[in-house]
Amino acid sequence: MSHFALSRRSALALMAGAATFGLTGRIAHAAGEIKVLNWQGYGTDEKWALEMFEKKTGIKVVHDYFNSEQEMLTKLRTSPGTYDVVLMNNIYVMEAAHEGLVQALDTSKFSNFNDLTPALRDSDRFVMDGKHFAISWVWGLTSFAYNTKKIAVRPDSMEALWDPAHAGKVGWRDDALESIQIAALATGQDMNAPADIEKIKDKLKALKTQIKTFWSSEDEWNKYMAAGDYDIAVYWSGSAARSKKAMKLPVEFVVPKEGAIGWFDGLTIAAKAPNPEGAAAFINFMVDPEFYVKWDNDIGAPASANAKANAQLPADALNRTVLGDPEVVKRVQWMAPISDEQKQKNQELWDEVKTSFAR
Amino acid sequence: MERAAKTYLGLILIFLYLPIVVMIAMAFNRSPLYEMPFTFDLVWFKALAYNQRLLQASWNSIWIACINAVTATTLGTLAAYAFARYEFRAKRLLQILLFPPITIPWLIIGTSMLIFFFWTGIGRGLHAILLGHVALSLPYVIVVVGARFANFGPQLEEAAASLGATPWQSFWRITVPVLLPGITAAALFAFAVSFDQFVISYFLAPPGTSTLPVEIYTSIRKGFTPEINAISSIIILFSMGLMLIVARNYKFGGDN
Amino acid sequence: MAFTRHTRTVLALTAPAYLWLTATVLLPLAAMFYFSFLTASPLGGKEVRFTLQHYADFFTKEIYWYNAWRSVELGLYVTAICLIVGYPAALGLAKYVKGRWREAIFLLIILPFWSNALVRTFSWTMVLREPFNILFSYPAIVIGLVHAYLPYAILTCYISLQAIDDSLIEAGRSLGATPAQTFRRITLPLSLPGVLAAIFLIFVPVIGSFMEPRILGGKDAIMLGPIIEGQFITAFNWPLGAALSFTMLGMVLLVLLVVMPFLNRQMARA
Repeated sequence: MSHFALSRRSALALMAGAATFGLTGRIAHAAGEIKVLNWQGYGTDEKWALEMFEKKTGIKVVHDYFNSEQEMLTKLRTSPGTYDVVLMNNIYVMEAAHEGLVQALDTSKFSNFNDLTPALRDSDRFVMDGKHFAISWVWGLTSFAYNTKKIAVRPDSMEALWDPAHAGKVGWRDDALESIQIAALATGQDMNAPADIEKIKDKLKALKTQIKTFWSSEDEWNKYMAAGDYDIAVYWSGSAARSKKAMKLPVEFVVPKEGAIGWFDGLTIAAKAPNPEGAAAFINFMVDPEFYVKWDNDIGAPASANAKANAQLPADALNRTVLGDPEVVKRVQWMAPISDEQKQKNQELWDEVKTSFAR
Repeated sequence: MERAAKTYLGLILIFLYLPIVVMIAMAFNRSPLYEMPFTFDLVWFKALAYNQRLLQASWNSIWIACINAVTATTLGTLAAYAFARYEFRAKRLLQILLFPPITIPWLIIGTSMLIFFFWTGIGRGLHAILLGHVALSLPYVIVVVGARFANFGPQLEEAAASLGATPWQSFWRITVPVLLPGITAAALFAFAVSFDQFVISYFLAPPGTSTLPVEIYTSIRKGFTPEINAISSIIILFSMGLMLIVARNYKFGGDN
Repeated sequence: MAFTRHTRTVLALTAPAYLWLTATVLLPLAAMFYFSFLTASPLGGKEVRFTLQHYADFFTKEIYWYNAWRSVELGLYVTAICLIVGYPAALGLAKYVKGRWREAIFLLIILPFWSNALVRTFSWTMVLREPFNILFSYPAIVIGLVHAYLPYAILTCYISLQAIDDSLIEAGRSLGATPAQTFRRITLPLSLPGVLAAIFLIFVPVIGSFMEPRILGGKDAIMLGPIIEGQFITAFNWPLGAALSFTMLGMVLLVLLVVMPFLNRQMARA
């Protein structure tokens, strides 16, 4: 993990930040305002929630978005003192903590802290030297979802994506890491350290006749599914819940017998946050059942790290029936941090596979 | 022959307008996922009125495109004039130097501008986007105006000079009016280049500031509703009206 | 001053445009070129060394050179189709359609510039789906790009065609030339500057395109443009991205060097 001494290379870091189009928010912080950095449409920017939060605390919430985790890190590096609350996938929290981008948290400020699932809350991805650097917020799975109107029998295997019956009707995300991990699961390997890369490559190349087209966002996934381009497609559990509820698409998320990719996200407070008190209040609100239950019920959300919140969901909610099932959780492989070198190798492998598609 | 030409052009127009008609039609379709059957609804136009980001981005785009058109056309016409009417040693070199902005894909220009603007402290923002757009438009303007120059020898200007006009007078009184169709075409070209330019704006837009194409790209990646169709429909209808007004005042397409 | 009045005038006329181009294009490219020889982005305080590895990668790794060829091929297809379809349209408009009809059609041809390219590309996903069923394929990419660049071809060809004096053509006819002969000997050579401009305006952006392949191409989307974009946006390997960019630039120049002398010869003959 790279170490940062900001003074020495501020110019270069700025440039790099520029590349990710993040940064230099010349944003003045009004009293009683916090700035949140997150994916767009990922819970923290729900309009009704912000109104609810403002009514409770008088704090106004402003958003900025990132399109990739690298962009999020670079925004933090190049715009210290801009952001208060930052959403982070667990695999990036320690990197950010080492670089001094996020601050150690006083857990007593979070009244919901004790209700959080300990396995997530106290994960070594969030805790360093006994100090928490992120509050566990939500978690979810990546596997696939299918159109119940097109596929009558619920598939229970990853092999469904390779099933000739769905040739030309499979949706796939154009993402190197995710593709490799799914192929690793399908070939029975450890997705964080696959032993047989060639096997993964061949498995992915076999998708040539299967894939209709790639999707890159939840919105695109919905549109392709609605248009009938996909019968079955790689997807995220929280998004599947939203597609079903908010978009009313006839889709079901599946955790196949080979397992699924697990991820969990935390909410952090930036090192030089202008309003750390407000940030803590907002994070506490985000993990509160009051917000979460409405989010999952009305919009669709990943599973909450707050056990109490999950317990308040309706009995048929995906987050209770599927993600709440201990048998399912046993099959999950959790995503591990990844080096820059490995990223480059993954990208080349995936580009090679895509080139074979186009031949 | 005229009939055949019109038929062929008609077919081309159908091809050019097919997706635009579909785009406009979908602005009136209720489904947020562009689903059929078509259900007429004005909901996306109403939503647009409250979409502050999209409106602000559109406004930015219009302003930048206008300033770009004026700046690029002025600078470009001056350079084209020098090329057409003066002989000088560096001419060949200067002409070759016009090539980078058109011979280098925008992706490369955009990222390199970003690096450089950051180094020099120019930074990002609407001003940086404008700097980039003018650079992109300049070669187009010089080519288009230059093509017009190629059709007119210096005889008219020489005649003016022999009648006692200063170079400046003959430039404004003779050259500019003769060039006007070319200049108008170049300005419209520059406007369009800027208004539609996405790649460079994307790299030079800081958070919270964007142009319409950047905003649309963000939407495509993160959530795309027919509001995008609604605003595009408004813009194309607006510009159609604008073009008709311009066309009433100028003879278009270089008729003389 | 040593400058003559003539030199001063030329300077005054060209300096504004060229200072602008230098500051916004040439210097940034120099910075980018420097990057393409570094082992890593100077991000994160890593040790940065000089290397030729990225250029070596281009020639040794199939994913790069093969997809570079795919980009060039796409550029050739789209440019050729735009000219084959656009040139007759420009000719018809310039020589056979007159008056208000010409004005109206001309306007209609350049109007699509005003609708956003991203939205138009997206609209094609609706058109190509139902009756044609060729969405997410190579032809879909070609159609989307031809649609985007056809107006450029018509516009540039039209500008040079309508500048041709009709009396030249009349003269050719009165000397007994067939219409085909007058076209080949007079009209075509005189309109070549427009054709050349069209080649520039179409080939270059198409070779670097990545949005249209992404939206319309499905599995056939991969080419050098999307790969370079990925190096900058996703993989964050700037030096490799810069090296691939400069290689693409080399290909553009190579193709234009092949085309240019041919066109120059044609123009010289005219």
